[in-house]
Parts: sequence; structure tokens; C-alpha cells
Amino acid sequence: MTIAYSKSFDSYVVAALFDSLDEPIVALADGRVVFPDLDAEFDSHPNAGILCAVVHPTGLGIVTGGDDGRVVWTTKDSGPIELASHKGAWIDVMTAAPEAQTIAYAAAKTVYLLDLLSKAQRVFRHDHSVSGIAFDPKGRKLYCSTYNGVNVWFSRIAEQKPQKLFWAGSHTAIAMQPAGDFLITAMQENALHGWRLKDSKDMRMGGYPAKIKSIDFFAKGKLLATSGANGAVVWPFLRSNGPMGEEASEINPQDGAMVTVVSGAPEETLLAAGLDDGRVWIAELQSTGIDWVKAEKGAAITALAMSNEANRLVFGDEEGFVYIYEGSE
Amino acid sequence: MPDSAATSTKTPVTVLTGYLGAGKTTLLNRILTENHGQKYAVIVNEFGEIGIDNDLIVGADEEVFEMNNGCVCCTVRGDLIRILSGLMKRKGKFDAIIVETTGLADPGPVAQTFFVDEEIKAKTYLDSVTTLVDARHFDQALKDGREAKEQVAFADHIILNKTDLVSPEKLDEIEARLKGLNPLATIQRAHRSDVPIKALLNQHRFDLSKMEKVENHHDHGHDHDHDHDHDHGHGHGHGHDHHHHGPAHGEPGHVHDEHCGHDHHDHHHANPGHGEAGHVHDEHCSHQINPIHDEEIKSVSLSSETPMDGVKFTKWLDKLLAEQGQDILRAKGILNVAGEEKRLVFQAVHMILEGELQQPWREGEKRLSRAVFIGRNLDQAALKAGFEACVVQ
Repeated sequence: MTIAYSKSFDSYVVAALFDSLDEPIVALADGRVVFPDLDAEFDSHPNAGILCAVVHPTGLGIVTGGDDGRVVWTTKDSGPIELASHKGAWIDVMTAAPEAQTIAYAAAKTVYLLDLLSKAQRVFRHDHSVSGIAFDPKGRKLYCSTYNGVNVWFSRIAEQKPQKLFWAGSHTAIAMQPAGDFLITAMQENALHGWRLKDSKDMRMGGYPAKIKSIDFFAKGKLLATSGANGAVVWPFLRSNGPMGEEASEINPQDGAMVTVVSGAPEETLLAAGLDDGRVWIAELQSTGIDWVKAEKGAAITALAMSNEANRLVFGDEEGFVYIYEGSE
Repeated sequence: MPDSAATSTKTPVTVLTGYLGAGKTTLLNRILTENHGQKYAVIVNEFGEIGIDNDLIVGADEEVFEMNNGCVCCTVRGDLIRILSGLMKRKGKFDAIIVETTGLADPGPVAQTFFVDEEIKAKTYLDSVTTLVDARHFDQALKDGREAKEQVAFADHIILNKTDLVSPEKLDEIEARLKGLNPLATIQRAHRSDVPIKALLNQHRFDLSKMEKVENHHDHGHDHDHDHDHDHGHGHGHGHDHHHHGPAHGEPGHVHDEHCGHDHHDHHHANPGHGEAGHVHDEHCSHQINPIHDEEIKSVSLSSETPMDGVKFTKWLDKLLAEQGQDILRAKGILNVAGEEKRLVFQAVHMILEGELQQPWREGEKRLSRAVFIGRNLDQAALKAGFEACVVQ
């Protein structure tokens, strides 16, 4: 259980993730994409910044959206490849559907969908800026969080009117439960909102002291972890009602510090959290064992991901330090 | 705001407002092209207007939404929250941020955004709401609707632009009306948005520590008949610069009296003379322009020499803002709280109130409590009564 890698890149760490081969990849605000295992980096957005990133739908490499209006796929073997370019746009939201081989991203009020198989490109216009996008598990529908709720679009239809999931207020992020039964948004007012999709039933999940910026379903989609409190907040999705009527648990709350980012193991009840004081912990929720991965304080943690095998963590902070932690297993 | 500017690592934000045609685009183009040694990220309302290719220019959507923040309900700019948090990832690429609003925009939601969103508040501070006023079309703008008036009432800094297109008498009249709408803002005259860029940005005008500007505004002779002295020889030598007062003024904590209560002339500032470009117009002094008050938007200045009951005052102010916050555009004050060696300073944007204890009163300084409210439908008598009821009995 050690920090196996640490390096300063002197630029805000926008995203840290593992691709499907468990290759750690980091996206930096100055436009670089870093492959720490190879000690390789690419200037994927020259003279510009990266605002968002996801694993490519094939599972290989990273797709980044930038303030240069470009969408770039960077792999360790081929380096950066431009997938799309929209002059003057800030691409700050992105998601990918491996099942459908599509990427969706947004700049302000417009959502673009790239179909990698048919090469089709579709445009979905909204009345307000889009803050988050999520696909259903099959990639057939696209859920776009915006002001006053979520707009739902069919990915494969060009001209259509979206279905609306209405909830007043400003929704700032979105996550789809892996089984596709529940949709969750974070709201400007320090709360989550949820919908049970089969009947559009609303769920209000409040009580947070701060804005929720990180939402992650983990443990086979049975648990939802979020930032926005002194500890990581975990909601159960064990029954058909989801978290309705259930209490959330706050894991490892720390006085004077806030969790800024969470990441859980896809298959296990293992959860990691990064804090605004630079610390990072990992917890096995069934044994209540908590380990400090990084106990020294520093700049706020801005990105964190757990590998698919749950044996490694990659994370980075506001000042551009990137770390990889390896478990003992 | 409570971060005292000088030591702050937060990024300063200047909000640039102004009625249609007031010269915002000209000014932005200057900011982006002139060699002034500073780099700015600019959030513009219409992307095409600025003919400059620069990845630090971002288009905004003016998306205003109502937010329920505990007991305070206010409107904020959602697109601004999103864009600012994106920009903050590239901290270091620029020194400051400028937010341009459309000519018809209410500056309230923009300003409130900097107080309501925690993340924005933690990383940026509102440096100044700067309003450009077109001298030639000012009368028409006031007639068109309430936007132009509110932009003036909201400002920390007013640039009276296109001064070469009207007579000196007309300029003085406009300035008098600006003062009537907003006694707190500094007024600077310009021809073609030709103000020194350095004097425009990063001035900490919104900062609580600059509260010396809240002077004793009580009663400045409401001579609506305009018979104040226009005969102000342009050669007079007190062109001192308000931007550099405060610490740079020589005396620590110098309280600048806009009403010429003391002699300014011992402050040696080599500024351009009156009428020249870049002249920083002094508010009052011997070139006395008395405010012309407006029927709709008023300012009410209150003061008291008796120490205030801090608890009572806070309760009164909270209640006032809760009930009349929609109409109160801006409020600022410095208070002498009984039993407290430090000044209590506050400022409010509509219902959002921020206050803190700041530097102690100086020895021998007159501990005068004062507050200024700018807004619509203000009831001067009721405000005065409420304020005076907060003094220690």
C-alpha cells in the first residue's frame, strides 16, 4: 500500500481515469494528456485548456473537450487525434456510451453526438446551458441536465422534441445508475435530485453542507457515493425503491475538510475520496476499515479514479501534482 | 470580499455594464489589444462583437435563474458559474477576469453570483461593477427604461464616456444626475473609452476594506435648481486620483472626505489636468457638482455619532433586506459598535449581506457610524428612524 508514482505537472488536474486496460490517464488544464505508467505526455490541445474528459467508447485512451472547441482522442500509441472541432465553443461536458460506440458532449446550450460506427453527427439544442450528460446503459437515450431538470433525447433520431424530467432549479451534474433504473442530478442548492425512470417519480436527497461536484455509482451500482460533505456520502440503491425511505451514511467525516471527489470500485464496496485539504482515503465499507492513501495535506484534490481491478488509484490536485497509489493485493 | 484584497490569491473580476452604445466593445478591444502588461480573460455576451481571436474570450448566455439559498432567494447567473469554474482551472494564464453584460442587463444577478456560489466565492472576488455611460445619449437611455438607471445605481465606478460630444454644462448636469443616483461610485470622464486600463481593473472597489468611500453623505444641499457652481477653472490643481487613495494616500486608514471637509491639496498626484483624457474626476471639492436626485432611484445616507447596538442593528438590517431587498440595489456602511474597538463594515447587494469587523478606529478619530442605501422606493424617514433606533440608549 504505497504511493507508486508522484509527479508535478504544474497545471490543474482536470481528470484522472483508468481506461478499460486499466491504463491510468490524466488530463491537465493546460491541454496535456499524461500516461503516467509510460511517463509519456501529449499536447492534445495546444495553447488551450482541457475542460472535460472520458474514456473513449472503445475503452482505449481518453477523449478530451477543450476551451479551443476541439474534441480530441489521445491514445498512448497514436497520440492525439481530433474527432471534432467547433470554433469558439467551450466543450465542458462529455460522456461516452461503450455499448453504442457514441460520444456526446456539450458546449453551452448545444449537445453534439458523435456516432463512431455510422459516423453520424447529431445536434440537440436546449433552451439553457447543459451541465451534464449521461447515456442509459444501452446508449439509446441521452439525458442532459439543464436548468429546471433533464431533457431526454433518443440518440439515433435526428429531429425530435425531448421528453422532459422537470424539477425547478439549476441542475449542475448528472449520473445514471448502471442498471438504468435511476437518474441522479446534483443541484446548485447543495442537494441531489433523483428520478425513478419507470414512473418519473421524484426523489429529493438533501442535507449537504456544500455543493456536490462528484457523483459515482459503485459496488455493481448498488451504492452511490457523492462529495459535498465532510465525509463521503453514500446512498443505498439496494431495493427497487432506490434510496427512497433510506438514510445516507457519511463515511469518514473529517472536521474542517470537505470531500471534493469520490470514486468507488465498479464491482466492490471499496470507496476512495479526495479532500479539499489534499488528503485521500480509501475505505472498505463492509469492514469499516479506512486507510489514508495520502495523509499529508496539500492543494485540493480535483480528480480521482479507482482502477477496474480496484488495486490502484490515480489522483491529482489543483496545483498539478499527480499520484498513483497501489494496493497490496 | 472579506479577503482583504492585497494578500488575496483570489482572481479579481470586473463586471462591465453600460447601456447599448455606451462604448463597452471599444473598451474591451482596448483591454485585449493594448500592451499594458496584464492578461485578461473576458466573458462577453456576444461572441462575434469582439474581433479578436483569443482563447481567453468566452461567450456567455446571460442565463439568469432564481436560487433558493437558505432563507435568501436571489437571482444568479448560471452560465457565469460554469464559465468561471472552467476558467479557474487555468489560473495563471491570466491576471484578472472581465465580465461584460448586455446593454439591457440588470447587474444584480451578476454581482450576486459572486456571493452565492461557494466555489466562485472561494476562487474569485468581485473587484468592481464598472458602468459606462454615454454622455450624448444619457437622457434618452434614462427615458428608455429602468436598465440604464439601475446600471448607474449599481456601480462602484462610472465611466462617463463620449464627453467630447456634449457641452461642459451638459456634462456637469449628467454628472450631477449620476451622483444623485449613486453617491458611492467614483466618476471618471472619458472620450472614446480612453481611460487608463490600469485604473480600470483590479482596484478593489467592491472590497469591504475600501469602505472609506462611504462618507458622511448626509444632506448635501438638495438644490434642485441647478444653481451650483459650474465655474470651475479647468486649471485647478487637485486632480488627485481616487484609485490610489487608501494605503497609498500616505496616512494609514485615511478617510477620504468627498465633501471637501479637509484639504486635498497636500496630496501630490501628477494626474492629467481637467478635461484631458485620463483625468480622474474628483467627486466634489471646489468643483462642486451637487447631486440631482432622481424620483425613482434614490440614495439615503444615514449617520450617527452615538455608538450603535450591534445586535439591534444587525436585526434591523436583516429585516430590512429581507423585506425590501428587491428594491435595495446596493448598501454600504461603517459602524461604530458600542464596546467594539474595530469598525464593523458591511455591504449588501439586494438581499445578500456581507459584513465583518475591520481595522480599529484610530486614536482621536471621530467614531461616526454611517450607512448608504441606494434603491427604488426608499422611504427616507423610515430608514432614518430604523437606523436611529439602533443606537445605544
